[in-house]
Amino acid sequence: MGESSQVDVDGTSPRATASAQHGEAITDSRSGVCVASGHVATVVEVTWTTEQVEAVAPSPAAITAAKPLASPARWSGLGADERVLWGSCRGSGAEPYDTAVDHVGVGFRCTCPSRKRPCKHALALLLLWVQEQVPPGTPAGVVESWIGRRVGRADTSEPVESAPRPDAPEPTSTDGAKPPDDRVDEPDPPQPPDDARDRARDERVERMFAGLTELDRWIDDRIRTGLADPALAKYATWDDLAARLVDAQAGSLANRIRRMAGLVGASPDWHDDVLGELGLLHLLAQAGRRLGSLPGPLADAVATSVGWQVRQADVLGGVPDTDRWVVAGRSDRREDRIEVRRHWLRGVDSGRWALVLSFAAYQQSLDTSLEVGTEIHADLHRYPGPALRALVGRIHPPPEAALFPLEVPAGPPPGRPPSQTVAAACDEVGRMLVTEPWLDRVPVSVTAAPGRSGDRWTLGDATGSLPVVDPGLSAGDGFAQLLALSSGSPVDLTVEWTPHGVVPLAVHLDSRSVDIGPRADAAFVGAA
Amino acid sequence: MSTDVDTLWRDLVTAALLGSDRRDPPDPGGPVGDLVADAVRTDASSRMLATVAACVAVRRAGVRPGSPVEPLRPPEPDDRPPCTPAAVARWHHVTTSWPVLEDEWVLTCVEQGWRVAAELAPALLRRHRRNAVRRARAVAAVGPTAAWLVEHLPELDVVGRPRPLSPVEFEQLGELPALPIPPELSWLLDATGSEVGGVVAIGLENGDFAEPHRAVLVNLLARCVPGGLVDVAEVLDAVDRRSSGRPLAISLGDLATTRARMLDELSAP
Repeated sequence: MGESSQVDVDGTSPRATASAQHGEAITDSRSGVCVASGHVATVVEVTWTTEQVEAVAPSPAAITAAKPLASPARWSGLGADERVLWGSCRGSGAEPYDTAVDHVGVGFRCTCPSRKRPCKHALALLLLWVQEQVPPGTPAGVVESWIGRRVGRADTSEPVESAPRPDAPEPTSTDGAKPPDDRVDEPDPPQPPDDARDRARDERVERMFAGLTELDRWIDDRIRTGLADPALAKYATWDDLAARLVDAQAGSLANRIRRMAGLVGASPDWHDDVLGELGLLHLLAQAGRRLGSLPGPLADAVATSVGWQVRQADVLGGVPDTDRWVVAGRSDRREDRIEVRRHWLRGVDSGRWALVLSFAAYQQSLDTSLEVGTEIHADLHRYPGPALRALVGRIHPPPEAALFPLEVPAGPPPGRPPSQTVAAACDEVGRMLVTEPWLDRVPVSVTAAPGRSGDRWTLGDATGSLPVVDPGLSAGDGFAQLLALSSGSPVDLTVEWTPHGVVPLAVHLDSRSVDIGPRADAAFVGAA
Repeated sequence: MSTDVDTLWRDLVTAALLGSDRRDPPDPGGPVGDLVADAVRTDASSRMLATVAACVAVRRAGVRPGSPVEPLRPPEPDDRPPCTPAAVARWHHVTTSWPVLEDEWVLTCVEQGWRVAAELAPALLRRHRRNAVRRARAVAAVGPTAAWLVEHLPELDVVGRPRPLSPVEFEQLGELPALPIPPELSWLLDATGSEVGGVVAIGLENGDFAEPHRAVLVNLLARCVPGGLVDVAEVLDAVDRRSSGRPLAISLGDLATTRARMLDELSAP
């Protein structure tokens, strides 16, 4: 998604031949400038026509959208040389979009979030150039390195990215009101024509960017006026912003705002919690407005966390992550008016975690197909970026069991993740959070005993202890079950790390696993 | 995470309470300071937000365990085997659909030499916090772990002040409570399964029994001789599909089946 925001697409030049992409020096018929490898300082002659610009546009509508932008007043830092055009276009976002066009190899780079290839900014830059309104110059910084990579690839005959990058995620109205459904047997609804879809998406993206700007301004106000401001105790302070974020297609952030409202006054340390969350929201708002300049996986992670959504079909079209997956834990949590069920799966061979979500509105059913303590051999299709979230694709039949196995397979018994110390579990959590510090919860396995430190419950061993989220705040008897099952001794566990402590999800006994995760209110969902 | 970051965080929280309009944010210095040095804007609130964001990210990624904690003293040992997962699942079904059977579930569990599986203990104790007789049975079924759990989780303790059982209550401890059954049906309590099933099935088919009699029929099946329950379920399953009593027959059949399986799962280990 972020990758598609920072569009970097190659195509077929109306002038340059394919040989240029393979490093052979070519001579442009009009300018007489040798352009294949390296830059030549010379006055750049325009080699394209308006018709050729229109020919590379993805649709007539894209040209129509580009024409108003083909005015020098909208641009800063314009420049062109014999290979590349560049400039910054002032759009609706807080930051201008940095655009570059390889007019020889025909490639486009833009920090805008549009999926159109080329986007209207790249087309506008080409139109400006055709109108001879782009001054000559020497590329620097990002443009220089970008065109250098392209030239380098051509020189070394490396395959140039010619396939379109994955589509950007489709923003949704809100995570809460219209949650994605992980059931893979339901096809995506019919899609509108490309033009209409692109136009609608562009409008949604514009709204999202405006929403992120407003969010950051709101956070700034909170920091200026202070957390002791009585306005924080008023629900309207939060709800109004959440509603505007829903309108801005940033449903995930709206949910975070609503959850943050619940933190105010909820504990003696609520100022810590709220300030931390404000910091993370600031991080997301800033990153979300610069998606195009972020590395691809990070941009994907940010976009997902902001609330952009990827179509199931696109996810399922990705390369599967095939493994034997242990269903290590489950937790249910009411988010707004939706019950969210998280199944945490861990790859036996890869050791990687995955998250399978299901959702239920009032009197709907949650997914019961994944049972804690079981193992499935399946293709998981991960969402873009480093995200844990995945869809379950094809489930493979279990392999034939050997009648007389010669040796016991290494590793933990089937249906349970490996055991590890508290310190090792912290390391694993840290590795996941360093990738995405805004994650609310991450899974981890640990072998630990319940204990008490002051008025808090903990899980610990000789290497240290982890605080447990107040059992009274979790639905069900999960912690009491853990106490009873352990009798105070160390047990193998799957837990969810959260900023407020860990939530025990499953106890893995020698012969079976016991699902002790927070469970949805049966009166709310049909099958909890 | 380093102590410096913790100190910086505390300073940030203090500054955030008052707001950057009234209190200058702390100078982060060190690696966090380097990280936020290129913040886009230089006004106080922007610098503070950048510092807060960096500090949170560092603290999260550097999550470290707290000090080791003294382990809990274990409960007194209990040599009885735990009831099976199937029995645990049955208890959940019983309490959800046929609570009339729960007394028998708990009593049978104790009488047959099982202890309640650990994962079920909290729910059983939480469910029986008011009725002294049922509480006593639950504690007996859970074993020494009951007192240990209550010691650590007082919310599982009885409601009000604990008191010893009265002599009458003590006598009730080992017996199922009597359920109201009309005299004309009481002979069925000792009848065979075929006889019980036959009377109920015929009554449902010819309209002598209907929904208003549900409570009476439930009581009858909850107290009839257990050995005939499978037969009762079979006969009820054969009730004419066109009969208006068919839905009630299916429901009572589930009761008979549930009770039969419950007793089978709790038969002596």
